[in-house]
Amino acid sequence: MIDVNNIYKKFGNLQVLKGVTCKIEKGEKVVIIGPSGSGKSTLLRCMNLLETPTYGEVWMEGRLLTPIDPYLHFDVIRKSKTYNAMMLAAKNADPAAAEEALDASVIAEIKAKDLLKKREGKEFAGAIKTLYKENFQDINQARMKMGMVFQHFNLFPHLTVLQNMTIAPIKLKKVPPEEAKEKAMELLKRVGLEDKATVYPATLSGGQKQRIAIVRALAMEPDVMLFDEPTSALDPEMVGEVLSVMVDLAKEGMTMIVVTHEMGFAREVATKVLFMDDGIIKEENEPKEFFAHPKDERLKEFLSKVL
Amino acid sequence: MTYVGQGLVNTLLITLIAAVLGLVLGFIVAVVKIAAEHNKWMKIPAAICNVYTTIFRGTPVALQLFIMVFAIFAIPGFKPYAAILTFGINSGAYVSESIRAGILSVDKGQMEAGRALGFSWLQTMVKIILPQAVKNIIPAIGNELIALLKETSIIGWVGSTPGSLTFDLNAAADVIFKNMANYLASGIIVGCCYLVIVYIMVFIFKYIERRLRASDRR
Repeated sequence: MIDVNNIYKKFGNLQVLKGVTCKIEKGEKVVIIGPSGSGKSTLLRCMNLLETPTYGEVWMEGRLLTPIDPYLHFDVIRKSKTYNAMMLAAKNADPAAAEEALDASVIAEIKAKDLLKKREGKEFAGAIKTLYKENFQDINQARMKMGMVFQHFNLFPHLTVLQNMTIAPIKLKKVPPEEAKEKAMELLKRVGLEDKATVYPATLSGGQKQRIAIVRALAMEPDVMLFDEPTSALDPEMVGEVLSVMVDLAKEGMTMIVVTHEMGFAREVATKVLFMDDGIIKEENEPKEFFAHPKDERLKEFLSKVL
Repeated sequence: MTYVGQGLVNTLLITLIAAVLGLVLGFIVAVVKIAAEHNKWMKIPAAICNVYTTIFRGTPVALQLFIMVFAIFAIPGFKPYAAILTFGINSGAYVSESIRAGILSVDKGQMEAGRALGFSWLQTMVKIILPQAVKNIIPAIGNELIALLKETSIIGWVGSTPGSLTFDLNAAADVIFKNMANYLASGIIVGCCYLVIVYIMVFIFKYIERRLRASDRR
């Protein structure tokens, strides 16, 4: 479902991710743990491109999310119908250039493409655009299928709880307002907050805010949910109510990727636990084995401190 | 007294047109400047906007007025409009910074939450960020409008006769002074007019602010 391929991320002089590769299948519940500053939040945010990786690719259901690099992704380009049609057209117009393009290696093809671009001008530019559309996922479309829950909730304070939940479905998925409202009320009932539908977020407790944030994301009917330390900003007594919503969600079969410090949740719910340290994934295992027999030294040390 | 009435109407008219112009201009400039942080296509427009705010905030408005009226728009009969244009453009430079500050004061997480739901940058700006920014912008805009109202009093410097659009409150005071030969009395009359307008403006802005703060109430 989500393929992260060798991504690097640099903030200024700080290299946060140093080549992370992971694969998340449908229905999996992946928990990412690690010390602070290890890059686990950055990894999660790279998955829906809230941060753009400096290098590497993120794929969702076979389509590329990260910006296209013609040198990196020429094989993708080469498979496309538009590209082949383009090359055929080029062959008719200028056999020499096309031959150069079709025979040569990838880099030479790009050079030939540049050459063609100069010759064909606007027409070629238009063809490239269609070509991108065929193979690369529009990020806003992709994000509609990826719900995200933030550490600091990020509810919209100028909208009521119900408006918070219906604004995206109404505006983006063109759901009729009445239907969106009904759906939102149903979701609110599920998390036991149906009496809060008409209030503004400022009147809610942290736990209530986070539960609303979860159902706000669910209102878009996403295929996968990303949780960025959903309980870290909560009072200890409110952690339970949020976790129980997440556990229910997991039981329903939602694909989840969770960055958290809640080891209990990882043990109980996860199908796979990742340990990140210093910008790379140091260990990856199913939870039983992960907690019982950690192999990495740094992980052993980390677990001894948090458990 | 008819002079005061005429001056009052002209002052309000000049301020209103300049304010609308300033708000529109300021809004566009602010959004362009903020968009430039994410969009490389906005870099050049943003640079132009920076030059604009630097020049118009960096030089006295009286100087701008003279240059605009007597040099750039030295067209017969265009004087009042050139003057109003100057006030509008000048105000826009200040307003743009107020609006920019208001937009930047909205929590970064709001943009992230909007984008994560699938809204584009512009959609998030319009539907999520701006409605919240307005609350922060309104007090500063009120301040700017009051300053603008009083700033327009220099319009008489480019010459005004009763009956023309440049004949504002301050110009009225001059004429009254000549008739009454009492600057204190004419000054007090006109000063009271300014005071009353400003008071009404403050009242209106307080009302708007109260309405906008509805979602803050616990």
